[in-house]
Amino acid sequence: MKRLILLTILFIMTFVTTACSDSYTQKHSAVNDEEEKDTLRIGLDDEPPTLDPHLSSSAVDRQVMHAVFDKLVDIDEDMEIVPKLAKDWDVSDDHKTYTFYLEEDVEFHDGTPFDADAVKFNFERMLDPEVGSARIDEVEEIEKVNVVDDYTVEVVLKDPHAPLLGALTDRAGMMVSPSAVEEMGGDFENHPVGTGPYEFIEKEKNNYIGVSRYEDYWDDEAKIENVIYEPYTDENIRTTNLTSGDIDLVSLVSPKDANKLEEDPSITVDSRDGNGYLGLHISKENEALGDENIREAIDYAVDREAIAKVAYEGGALPAIDAFPPENWAHNPDIEVPENGVEEAKKLVKESGVEDPSFTLNVPPSETDEDVGQMVQNMLAEVGITVSVEVQEHGQLLDSMESGNFDAIYLGWDGRVDPDESVSKFFMSDGYNNYDKIDDEELDSLLKEARTTLDEDKRATLYEEFSEKLFNLHEHVFLVHPDEIKAMKKNVEGFVHYPDGMVRPHELDFE
Amino acid sequence: MVSFIFRRIGLMIVVLFLVSVIIFSLVNILPGDPALMILGQDSSPEAIESLREELGLNKPLIQQYTNWMGNVLMGDLGESLNDNTGVTTLLMKKIPITMQLAVMSLLISIIIAIPAGILGAAKKGTFWDYISTTMALSGVALPPFWIGILLIFIFSITLGWLPPSGYVSFFEDPWRNILLMLMPAFALGIRSTAELTRMLRSSMVETLQSDFVRTGYAKGLMGMSVVFKHAFRNSLIPVITMSGLQLAALLGGVVIVETIFHIPGLGQLIYNAILERDFPVVQGGVLFIAFGVIIINFIVDIIYSLVDPRIKLGGQK
Repeated sequence: MKRLILLTILFIMTFVTTACSDSYTQKHSAVNDEEEKDTLRIGLDDEPPTLDPHLSSSAVDRQVMHAVFDKLVDIDEDMEIVPKLAKDWDVSDDHKTYTFYLEEDVEFHDGTPFDADAVKFNFERMLDPEVGSARIDEVEEIEKVNVVDDYTVEVVLKDPHAPLLGALTDRAGMMVSPSAVEEMGGDFENHPVGTGPYEFIEKEKNNYIGVSRYEDYWDDEAKIENVIYEPYTDENIRTTNLTSGDIDLVSLVSPKDANKLEEDPSITVDSRDGNGYLGLHISKENEALGDENIREAIDYAVDREAIAKVAYEGGALPAIDAFPPENWAHNPDIEVPENGVEEAKKLVKESGVEDPSFTLNVPPSETDEDVGQMVQNMLAEVGITVSVEVQEHGQLLDSMESGNFDAIYLGWDGRVDPDESVSKFFMSDGYNNYDKIDDEELDSLLKEARTTLDEDKRATLYEEFSEKLFNLHEHVFLVHPDEIKAMKKNVEGFVHYPDGMVRPHELDFE
Repeated sequence: MVSFIFRRIGLMIVVLFLVSVIIFSLVNILPGDPALMILGQDSSPEAIESLREELGLNKPLIQQYTNWMGNVLMGDLGESLNDNTGVTTLLMKKIPITMQLAVMSLLISIIIAIPAGILGAAKKGTFWDYISTTMALSGVALPPFWIGILLIFIFSITLGWLPPSGYVSFFEDPWRNILLMLMPAFALGIRSTAELTRMLRSSMVETLQSDFVRTGYAKGLMGMSVVFKHAFRNSLIPVITMSGLQLAALLGGVVIVETIFHIPGLGQLIYNAILERDFPVVQGGVLFIAFGVIIINFIVDIIYSLVDPRIKLGGQK
């Protein structure tokens, strides 16, 4: 009896302490206060697997690479393409030859010069089948690269390719040092050498990546001397380290955490509409999903607004096509009928499928599980049974590649050029066509949209594409999640670019 | 003694072999293609296939196993599929960190368990005993990750006394290194603390009731002297054994604590390697832990026999 009482007291005390503080307190962290403000600590959502832009395929790599590498061109806050290593460029009348005029007096961190030969080396490396670059689908259209003079280089395409410049604002445009690659071979990805405002210092696996200001940078020098990137896979630990620890900036914040952090006076939360989308990849092999009527019913039955409001706590926009409302390729006219749920119920009955059901795989995050459950409830209302299964990331990728799934909730974080957000997913020969969509019209629309450079014409084509895709009902778009970052109040100069990449050389401490 | 050692070594070889087969099989049963994980969604099917060839993933499993084992026996644990760092190099870097965590855990456990256990035994049946036993019970029941998060909440968020997570090498900043290890070591060791307390307490209770102690009382020795000099030392034997076993168990339990406190140790390494399907790292890491556990048990047995002259190794009378 006495023991029971003691245990109960112990538990009550613990719960009281836990329940007392609801919000994060702004106690100054127990950090070594002597540490001068010369180091910016950025909390990443994962450990970057590689720092070689030609081999990289994770979004998290790009964060670190943006400190170490410059691209040929960049984007501004409004997603317009602006000069970077290429100070200017011409496009030939047949749209197949791009001539880039390079900045002069630029050096790689190893002292070797950046010039047209280096650019040629970079493109050829991306195209080399032996290298097996992950950039291949971004640069496939390139036929050859010619060095005109030290600072002028021609990129010749097989066909006009509108997404090219967009691709060059990111990894495909990041210039690596040819001599470093030749010297280090496979080890280059652990010791990247670029022309960027920071040079790579060291990397400790699962611990941190350290970079330091490059004193001979050709453009505006970085303000903060050192940047340390630390991977925190658990989002709670990540945000805790922001509020009570050493991290100055977190590059990926969930909407739930964002709402909590906004109440913390020592933290700035910067949220902007995201450029990507999340939705259901569908396999027609499943009996229910193979039926057109059922799929149409799903598109009508899911309440996208509710998902954005509840599962994402307002940190997302409902999505009915691949492009968020801000994007020029967006189609504002696609609508789900007013009485969508009723329509859906009718469709399910019409389909003649007995007891339609399927399994929905979701990634292992709280938000994704919530979405899974919401979809499950919404579809149950119209007579479709969904069982939600949480699958760990590696398994999910595997399921998608092998086609071993009914439906998967996943998405894409969007790219500067609309083509890169859709062609590999929805073209019949796309590398990532998990829905196994095979529609001639879609193919030709996308093909035309990428081979013409006229933005207005392209916008019309994409609108047509989105409408057709919706009517096929072979992919269910759900939301455009917001792009959210959070940082300590004393971090200044942060500009939230649409590609979600932190450009640390622009930041400073108050 | 010699035959004991030989038998132990023989046993160790058998166990390690079994472990290697098990871990190799498990890792290969897992769905998920390492080549795909490395190259990611962006890549072409051709690139993925050529990487699979390069990594030898298309060879029959038996051959992959024998290749791997053959290398291991020559001291080569292979390279990480992820970034080609040698597995041995990675282990060498991470093991000291995890060892430090495990040892600190054990030390904290012992430091708490000794007074708690003695108190409980000496004041058996009183209020102090109940406190001690209750704490022990909670320690077994409460999971380390919950304790860990609770500690962060109390000491980092609310009080701001300690940084919530992170790791700094002892050689770089010894004070901060210890500071950062305090909470994780405590959280990790919570179960050990509990078990050691209970063990010591019941061992002492037994000893205190034994003949030679009563003889001591009869001879007129004071209570405290009896407790400390005689009873305590004799009760230590099972505790020593248990400490050794706890150390081995701690090695296995570090994953969650390392994740919560962002300590780049062996647990984190293996955990991330599993998620990334980095087979060589998982296999090498697990093999090492198995090896470590075996060695620790072996040493514990030796110490045990040295401490207690009644124990003869090899099970002889």
